[in-house]
Amino acid sequence: MRKSLLFGVLAVVLALIGPSGSPAWAEATVAPSVTGRFSLIDQDGRPVTEASYAGHLRMMTFGYTFCPDICPTTLAVMAAAIQRLGPDAARVIPIFVTVDPKRDTPARLKEYVAAFDPRFAGLSGTQEAVARAAYDFRVRYHINSPEASDPDLYTVDHSAGIYIMDGDGHFLAKLPHQLEADDIAERVRAYLR
Amino acid sequence: MRRRVLLLSAALLLLPQAAPAKIATGLIVADAPAPVPNLDIRDGDGNDAGLGRSRGRAVLLNLWASWCLPCVAELPALDRLATTAKGVEVVALSLDHNGAPAAKAAYARMEITHLSVRVDAQLRAGEALAAPMLPVTLLIDAQGREVARFVGAADWDSPLARSLLDALAAGRPITTEMAPPKAKPRGAQPP
Repeated sequence: MRKSLLFGVLAVVLALIGPSGSPAWAEATVAPSVTGRFSLIDQDGRPVTEASYAGHLRMMTFGYTFCPDICPTTLAVMAAAIQRLGPDAARVIPIFVTVDPKRDTPARLKEYVAAFDPRFAGLSGTQEAVARAAYDFRVRYHINSPEASDPDLYTVDHSAGIYIMDGDGHFLAKLPHQLEADDIAERVRAYLR
Repeated sequence: MRRRVLLLSAALLLLPQAAPAKIATGLIVADAPAPVPNLDIRDGDGNDAGLGRSRGRAVLLNLWASWCLPCVAELPALDRLATTAKGVEVVALSLDHNGAPAAKAAYARMEITHLSVRVDAQLRAGEALAAPMLPVTLLIDAQGREVARFVGAADWDSPLARSLLDALAAGRPITTEMAPPKAKPRGAQPP
């Protein structure tokens, strides 16, 4: 926490002393609202867009499946939240979008999301399509350099959080990923009313 | 241009909840040992296998899941530890949604023979134990209190891991110098 504050101050200072004119990153940081558009491929290889899940409230999160030494539990918490919804779960679809389509193929995602809950959709696509979707959700990610020993061994930094989108694919809320399953279920229930 | 690159990296560091990398990993010693909350732990047949039965004995409680590759990768070392660690019960608790079948399949694939199948029946252990990342391994003393935890994958075959468990078994204080090395990242392919 203290570290991120330090970096925040650093960034502001750097911005103040930076070259005049519009810095290259300004467009990216002054983000307009989440449009929630995407054009991706699901875990069964079918093309999907935000219109594909019409009528379903969506819980969406971005990430990647290959955790080298530690794995986030965001999807497990989302799965637990879905299970706590009971019959209301039929009106909700949990969606995982990879920011690492090079390794996260539809086949890999199919196996991965099924380990959490069979109701999950796992979306990937071309690098460009994924970058576009990430931009439209104001998600930022950065693929780090691979280990010298293995070009496929790399980590990806990405923004976390769970996006709640309505049945038409419009943005409702972004929940912090540290929320507990009960809290997520409660928020989702409120949006279903 | 160079300045811009620098600015961009500074901006990237501002990502609010970015990157698993920001989570503190390694051995974290509790300031004050706290009782481990009650968990609904079941065996492979769905019978109660809660930690209450282990009271009076130190426990290494490893949280894992079949979808977590570093978790699965450290199971064989934990399996060996289950037979070599004296006075410490080694418990590998699966947080899998698919419960016992997923745990059993992973055990078969990794040729796990000594660890018992243990399942988090209500899918609440991750929250109850404040584990936003896996694997996490809790070191629990004979009074049922968490004295330390290792966040991330550890080298459980290392001499340090053995002396750490010896200290736990003997009820000696755990210190950060006892930390076993972090496990080396593996290749990207599932085992």
